Amino acid sequence: MQTTDKKTKTVLVVGGGVAGISAALDLAGNGHRVHLVERGYDLGGQVAKLDKFYPTDHCAFCPLWTEIRRCKEDEAIAIHPLSRVETLEQQPGGYRAVVVQSACVVDPSLCINCGRCETACPKSVAKPIWEHAYPPVHVIDGNRCGDCRACVEVCPTKAIAFDREEQRVALDADEVIWAAGFDEVSLAPMKEYGWGTHPDILTSLEFEAWKAEAGDNQGKIIRRSDGAVPRSILFVQCAGARDLRLLPHCSAVCCMHALKQAQWVKRRHPDIDCVILYTDLRTVGRDYYEYALRDFNGNGVRLVRGRSSLITPLPDGNGIAVKYEDTITGKREIRQFDMVVLNGNLQSSLASKPAPGARPELSGEGFVTAAAVSCGFVMEPADVTESAIQAASAALRTITDKN
Amino acid sequence: MAKIGVILCNCFGEIGNTVNLESIRERIASDPSVDFVSIRESLCQPGDSAAVHALVRERGIGKVLLGACSPYGRMEIVRQGLAKEGVDARTVRAVDLREGCAWIHGKDPVAATRKAANQLDMELALLQNMQDSRDVAIGVQREALVIGAGPAGLSAACGLARMGIRVHLVDRGTAPGGLLNVVTKVYPTELSGPEKLKPLVEMTGSSPLIRFYGKTKVASIKGYAGDFKVTLTGPEGSAALRVGAVVLATGARLLFPQGLYGYGKTKNVITQMEMERQLATGKAACKTAVFIQCVGARCAERPYCSTICCPMSLKNAMRILDEVPGSKAVILHRDIMTPGSVLEAFYRKALHRGVQFIRFDADRPPEIRGDGQVSGVEVFDVLSGVTRSIETDLLVLSTPLVADPESAALARMLEIPVDKHGFIAEVYPVHPVETRNDGVFICGTARWPASSDQAIAQGEAAAVKAASFLGTGTVSALTLSRVPGIKLGHAQADAEACTGCGNCVAVCPYEACKLQRVGQRSVSRVIKVRCKACGSCASVCPNGAMQIPEQNYRVTGAMIRRAFREVR
Repeated sequence: MQTTDKKTKTVLVVGGGVAGISAALDLAGNGHRVHLVERGYDLGGQVAKLDKFYPTDHCAFCPLWTEIRRCKEDEAIAIHPLSRVETLEQQPGGYRAVVVQSACVVDPSLCINCGRCETACPKSVAKPIWEHAYPPVHVIDGNRCGDCRACVEVCPTKAIAFDREEQRVALDADEVIWAAGFDEVSLAPMKEYGWGTHPDILTSLEFEAWKAEAGDNQGKIIRRSDGAVPRSILFVQCAGARDLRLLPHCSAVCCMHALKQAQWVKRRHPDIDCVILYTDLRTVGRDYYEYALRDFNGNGVRLVRGRSSLITPLPDGNGIAVKYEDTITGKREIRQFDMVVLNGNLQSSLASKPAPGARPELSGEGFVTAAAVSCGFVMEPADVTESAIQAASAALRTITDKN
Repeated sequence: MAKIGVILCNCFGEIGNTVNLESIRERIASDPSVDFVSIRESLCQPGDSAAVHALVRERGIGKVLLGACSPYGRMEIVRQGLAKEGVDARTVRAVDLREGCAWIHGKDPVAATRKAANQLDMELALLQNMQDSRDVAIGVQREALVIGAGPAGLSAACGLARMGIRVHLVDRGTAPGGLLNVVTKVYPTELSGPEKLKPLVEMTGSSPLIRFYGKTKVASIKGYAGDFKVTLTGPEGSAALRVGAVVLATGARLLFPQGLYGYGKTKNVITQMEMERQLATGKAACKTAVFIQCVGARCAERPYCSTICCPMSLKNAMRILDEVPGSKAVILHRDIMTPGSVLEAFYRKALHRGVQFIRFDADRPPEIRGDGQVSGVEVFDVLSGVTRSIETDLLVLSTPLVADPESAALARMLEIPVDKHGFIAEVYPVHPVETRNDGVFICGTARWPASSDQAIAQGEAAAVKAASFLGTGTVSALTLSRVPGIKLGHAQADAEACTGCGNCVAVCPYEACKLQRVGQRSVSRVIKVRCKACGSCASVCPNGAMQIPEQNYRVTGAMIRRAFREVR
């Protein structure tokens, strides 16, 4: 079983989030070549959109940014942004992938982010891209564009063109690592969660972006409906998860995520009543349980074991009514909250419908089986630490013979 | 002194419409160290890098000062473009004239221009005074030491061998396997511990690259990334090794909960691991097995969850139901910790299989009945609000993994921190198996309680990370720095000026500063490959003996004097 493989391999890594970035760096660090295919404009995935890491409460982006830059500086890593793997075929000795890069109206290699298009656009569809993307550019929402071409006229670098076409490239690779991450599943079919019926009923990722210090509200915690500071926020755990009707799995990251958000709110506004409605408070990593203990010890976030049966908007801007049972006291309650944050509806992005392109064999719950090499959330619900570990392990399995 | 070329970017008017670039050109061009000042329409568009490179070559200048956008604008693209053209990144400095001057002071062009000129002046002062650290490269020993031959250590050793690296695998036991050797079924599979480890143990025995040292301990480790000097003591005396990397996989210990729930005094009250041993010998016959979770865990003394106890109880409860016809299994729990899809499915399986679950509150723990031998358990079921009494003839206590003091001793030897529970701390969530000391990696339960699958994955991760720098041939302070982009050098101690006060040793976060005896005095010495050039030592040195040449006090002083030149 002794294998000493000196050959330089080319590995296709699908997904440029924490897992994909880590795998790419570990492969390149060991002298192999990588094609890193990312669906977004920049690397970083879902974690790049987070405001803070748990349990440190440190800025989430800074350590990730370092890794993203290492990827960009490494000549062995070819990054394919705005791309997806359309087809993947096995061929003698490896794979051939057809990768499609979407047409972009604004060419990021030319755009200097001066914002003249934004000023010129009569329909306000030219906007700066999200804060953490590098290089910072403007993007144009082609769907809402009025086709006036005012932006094309004012652009000093000729970065804007509406006639670009999507690009198809064929890539040959010896191995493939699936690291495509997760997506939020729509909770609309589960009407009891009230998602989509009121602007103050958000998913936790929506809330993270809404309250982010680098986001539109610069860290202010306000209601989406009227911009007022909420008096109470309810965090509902296992929304759509651990539920055989939608996602049977536990999404693994949501308990800590909710604690992090609720504690953050509490530090900013001690007056806001924060309640977490949980089933099991899953805190298995280093320092995770102590993070939760801050609240058991009376920091102010109230932990209630139970599940809600109905979340529904109240008329005349009076907030949201929530019907739930506190399963410890046995009391059934109907309470008014100003905001509701739904947590848990995360699934492997390869399980999304319609299919995002080529994909490997998936389990019934949409995770990549052992038949293919994978890491991060597409393999098994995982946080940053677990994803980075799985990524390195996946890198090893692709560059040495499997045994 | 190398001449400086100054290149200012107009950014299609984004800078030049506010900042008066012509007046800046006149002011800077008079500086004797400046060879030329050139104003360009852009620096980041196609062809710009080549044009700048041509200019640099034509004028034969050694240093470049760019006035353009912020590093969060397009400056990195400019830098990368120049690097690709062959301009040494360490000779290029940049000033943000767009976001930091033109845009934010758009309403006051005079102030914007003054700020731009001052910043350029200060960077010129820096370039004129900057020195070079003279990076030191160290040859890498292409061998690794793996301490501990449990699942994590075995997996790290085999991973390294698969990548062609020679491994010394040390364990205090006679054979590899660690704690997993006593596990008769590894959740959620049907394999026993030894069956699960078989491929790894076989490879350890057969690979010419792995040498296993049984009944052996590490007596000392000295050195740094690339070159550690190790002394082992074993049955055949002591042995000396030189390795480039160390993987710590020393595992954890079991907690024996003396005094809790009658453990140690009452018959048939056992721990989860003792139950594994009984199951291995077929002695676990019982009518009703009761499992209590979080015994000695998630409490004031040990405020952490041990990760593996909930799935282990699920597995052993189902085994009792499978192996003893007519038996019952009850799990008394707080939160059921089965995150993810595989473990959550395992939990559902246990529910369907008929395992009973009763949730209790930490403030009202279960009480056991029976004198000398357990006969029953009283527990307040918080979900239904009633006290339940269960007849039982086997009480299984789920106790946490606790840190091994031997790991902490090794951590001290390797100068890496342990957390407050005694487990060894990683650098950051995105670097989960790396430690503060480059070249030292951690995996398995020495790091944090982990399942065998997690431990094996961590071992593989440690192998990949270790191999990536063992493969480089040489390491230096610059190559070990994880910071991309502009890399500063490393601190240097001036032995003449040093008084040996030890301030630098106390503040260095990387244990890079050491006091060394030279004749009659103690002086500070920097282990260069450990230094990350953070500058902590320089800031506390009372004599200016500790300096980073690229940005020492002379440079900083010159920058400040230049900035206040007009005021003075």
